[in-house]
Amino acid sequence: MAVAVITAVICVVFVAMWGLKPSIDFTGGTLLELSFSKNRPTNVEMQKVLDDLSLKNVTLQQADSDGFIMRTSFLNEDEHQLVLKKMREQFQKDDNVVREEGFETIGAAVSQQLRQRALWAIILVNLGIIIYIGYAFRKVSQPIASWKYGALAIVALVHDLLVVLGVFAVLGHFQGIEVDIGFVVALLTVLGFSVHDTIVVYDRTRENLFNRGHKQSFAEIVNDGLNQTLMRSINTTMTTLLSLLALYFFGGPSIHNFALALLVGIASGAYSSLFVASPLLVLVEEWQRKKA
Amino acid sequence: MTKSQLRYAMGGIVALFILCSVYILPAYANKGINWVNNKTNLGLPTVPQSGFNLGLDLQGGAHLVYQANIENILGKDQVDAVEGVRDVIERRVRGGLGVAEPLVQTTKVGSDYRIIVELPGVTDVNQAIKMIGETPVLEFKEENNEPPRDLTADEKKQMDEYNKLADKKAKEALLAVARGMDFTEGVKKYSEDTQSINNGGDMGFISEAINPEAYTWAKTHKVGEISKDLIKSASGYNILKKISEKDGDKTVTASHLLICYMGAKGCENVTLTKSEALTKIQELKKQATPQNFSDLVKKNSTEPNAATSGGELGTFGKGQMVEAFEKVVFDMPVNAISEPVETEFGYHLIYKKAETTPKLYNLAHIYVKIKAKTDILPPTDQWKSSGLSGKQLDRAEVSSNQSTGQVEVSLKFNDEGTKLFSDITTRNVGKTVAIFLDGTPISIPKVNEPISGGSAVISGGFTLTEAKLLSQRLNSGALPVPVELISQKTIAASLGADSLTKSFKAGIIGLLLVICFMILYYRLPGLLSVFALLLYAVLSLSIFKLIGATLTLSGIAGLILSIGMAVDANVLVFERLKEELRSGKSIRPAMEEAFVRAWSSIRDSNVTTLISCVCLIWIGTGFVQGFAVTLAIGVLVSMFTAVTVTRTIMRLVLPLFGDKANILFLGHTKIVIPAPFFNGVNSAGISSEISKDPGFRRDDK
Repeated sequence: MAVAVITAVICVVFVAMWGLKPSIDFTGGTLLELSFSKNRPTNVEMQKVLDDLSLKNVTLQQADSDGFIMRTSFLNEDEHQLVLKKMREQFQKDDNVVREEGFETIGAAVSQQLRQRALWAIILVNLGIIIYIGYAFRKVSQPIASWKYGALAIVALVHDLLVVLGVFAVLGHFQGIEVDIGFVVALLTVLGFSVHDTIVVYDRTRENLFNRGHKQSFAEIVNDGLNQTLMRSINTTMTTLLSLLALYFFGGPSIHNFALALLVGIASGAYSSLFVASPLLVLVEEWQRKKA
Repeated sequence: MTKSQLRYAMGGIVALFILCSVYILPAYANKGINWVNNKTNLGLPTVPQSGFNLGLDLQGGAHLVYQANIENILGKDQVDAVEGVRDVIERRVRGGLGVAEPLVQTTKVGSDYRIIVELPGVTDVNQAIKMIGETPVLEFKEENNEPPRDLTADEKKQMDEYNKLADKKAKEALLAVARGMDFTEGVKKYSEDTQSINNGGDMGFISEAINPEAYTWAKTHKVGEISKDLIKSASGYNILKKISEKDGDKTVTASHLLICYMGAKGCENVTLTKSEALTKIQELKKQATPQNFSDLVKKNSTEPNAATSGGELGTFGKGQMVEAFEKVVFDMPVNAISEPVETEFGYHLIYKKAETTPKLYNLAHIYVKIKAKTDILPPTDQWKSSGLSGKQLDRAEVSSNQSTGQVEVSLKFNDEGTKLFSDITTRNVGKTVAIFLDGTPISIPKVNEPISGGSAVISGGFTLTEAKLLSQRLNSGALPVPVELISQKTIAASLGADSLTKSFKAGIIGLLLVICFMILYYRLPGLLSVFALLLYAVLSLSIFKLIGATLTLSGIAGLILSIGMAVDANVLVFERLKEELRSGKSIRPAMEEAFVRAWSSIRDSNVTTLISCVCLIWIGTGFVQGFAVTLAIGVLVSMFTAVTVTRTIMRLVLPLFGDKANILFLGHTKIVIPAPFFNGVNSAGISSEISKDPGFRRDDK
């Protein structure tokens, strides 16, 4: 529990310090991937060509062994073709072929829409989960009200989200890894999955409460539930992590960060459902008793 | 469930597995089927081969998002206008770019209308964007009756030079053949007729109509003979060889006298009734002889130009005259006049002048082309521009004809257009005017009368949908909605293919890892769950293919993730099973109990994942939707396979192992977290104890 709190706090600090690095999905702008078949120009050479074009907010990054990734503000088609033309004029000689591997440009309207929808999706998922857990646990109201299970599950979720955000804040700061729409998808999946774990534990607690609710203390019942579901939690997380590891190592670069976000989130989700959600349940019950 | 029910259920599962495997891997399935067919002669049908719908990120292509500028369009017309633009874009990318399966769809975001264009396989996005960005062009064109122009001096010179060379070449060929060159060789060396060049120059059997010059030559020469001169036809020089001859179909030379009556086909300005016409023609028959027939026709025939033509029909073969007429004329003797013959045109008298059976000749030729004026002039356009275009069209609407109820499209022009349209219709009464959209005629109405009111109607057997579509197209031509490109993404095909293989490999590896884990940890039940997992994999893929879901990279990621999650339900059940076994139950009751008890956890945990998926689908971009849809399908399918399928397999298999739990069913260790762990919030460490569970051997004496 303390570990969880400390981790969460550290992650908050990271996020506050460095922030996340939003990709063009959310800011709007252009991503242009070029490859050079023979010799790749240096950053300085590239920069010089781009300076002539007076593009805004240009950043250059080398990719693989033969490519460049260029980011800049939104380009219309004429500007896009102009950039390509200049590049070819400058570097396409002596059998050195300049190829456009990928081009993506996103206008302000689209990125704004994505931003809003992503935010709403996160809010809706949380609401949906609280409501569903409240419904699923409606028959269990002693000693803790059913909606509190939902709320506590969300606390565990917030922990998971913070861990993923923290990791990507660090990666963004040191490695320049960006947060794109795939990241939001990963976050939402982690939400669903983490609460999935928590529910299994709570579900067992619920069953134990029905069967022997008056013979044991609440803490013991929760602990039993936890023990009974421990192997399941570990194993399910194992199988999921195994398939994600396969995706991370063999799935190709396009899906790398996505798989990473899922890996971090799901590992953290398994941790939090065991070491955050259940202890919190006991804590809340203790507070209630003290107040009463 | 009784034993036979269980067997049926198992049979169903196996059948489902085979069916799905065949469906997702038709190529391999067909190989198998062909092998069986070769060996056994069973003649099994093969499976149609079709692949998955691959998204742009897996096959490469361009993704474009346009915003439609609809500021100047009012209320309900906005949707029509945007749909019109969508329609035009789709036609342009299909027709202009040749993209077979473009995806062009409209979406509304807030108050903005957007058009999303996905072009699989297109890498020259610049050209695509240019093509799409053009405003639709609507044009009115009239019939082109101008005679073709004369050749310019230059063209004439070119033509003469070409023909001079052809002349030289033909003479050379003639000389070569005359000096004994094999004809077939001559064909190969000199002939320019590509159809017969590899066939010894064989033209097949020709009649006089097909090639009169060659036919005339063949009449006077024997089989096997080769022409000693060049035979010049309209299109070039021929050196001919006669291969064989045969009788063709009979032809007849005749003339006729027609008396038509009111109501007969093509009968104009005649007041005779049918019986009056019959009386008249019977009288004429009495007078007619071969000598006066022509005069009688000129005086009496009701055929419009009979006074000059004398009713001559020339020479004709079978199939050229109406049936009743033909039957009489081919059977009657030559130099006779027939009894009155009734046809749809009226009553005829026929004078048969001659009957011949022309020969058909099978010829071979060495052909050298010469050019004529028509070969050099560009083909004359059937239509010429009238000056009226979409600029002068005010609007088009679907309307219905008040008297006939037919669906029509009505056009309303602005002032300039009204005047132009009036001029055009005045010039073209009785002719057609074509309406072109983006260079393709979409409607060719006939002008019945001059139209001066500035509005016109296109009628022409439209269905309501067609009429709507046409008016939409016309409006989009008349009121082009400006579109602005607000987002684009191109993915190189090589990158897509790379992603596809890599993610596929990752999926297989993930699946294998999970399978190993399940078998190692859960032993026999684990092995059984692997069958369920395999069924899960093929069933999910089949569903994607069946509903035509587009498989994207994110979708494959969702699928791989759901492999891990699919076994979750099994893990829940098996852990429960162990517990039940430890509490002393024998295997079968323990298993049934485990499935029942685990169900609420399985259900609740999957519902939360589905909640996430629904929200994700709502975000609505391709990447997100692909992932969410596959994950959701995966979760739903896994509930079926992990619970129903695993249970069926276990019910069938477990009785084989007796009632006692043994090493096949149980893992040995159990981690216990002692209760005191919760007593202090600060206890960060896990004081765990690994112990053998004393309970689990209770049955295992």
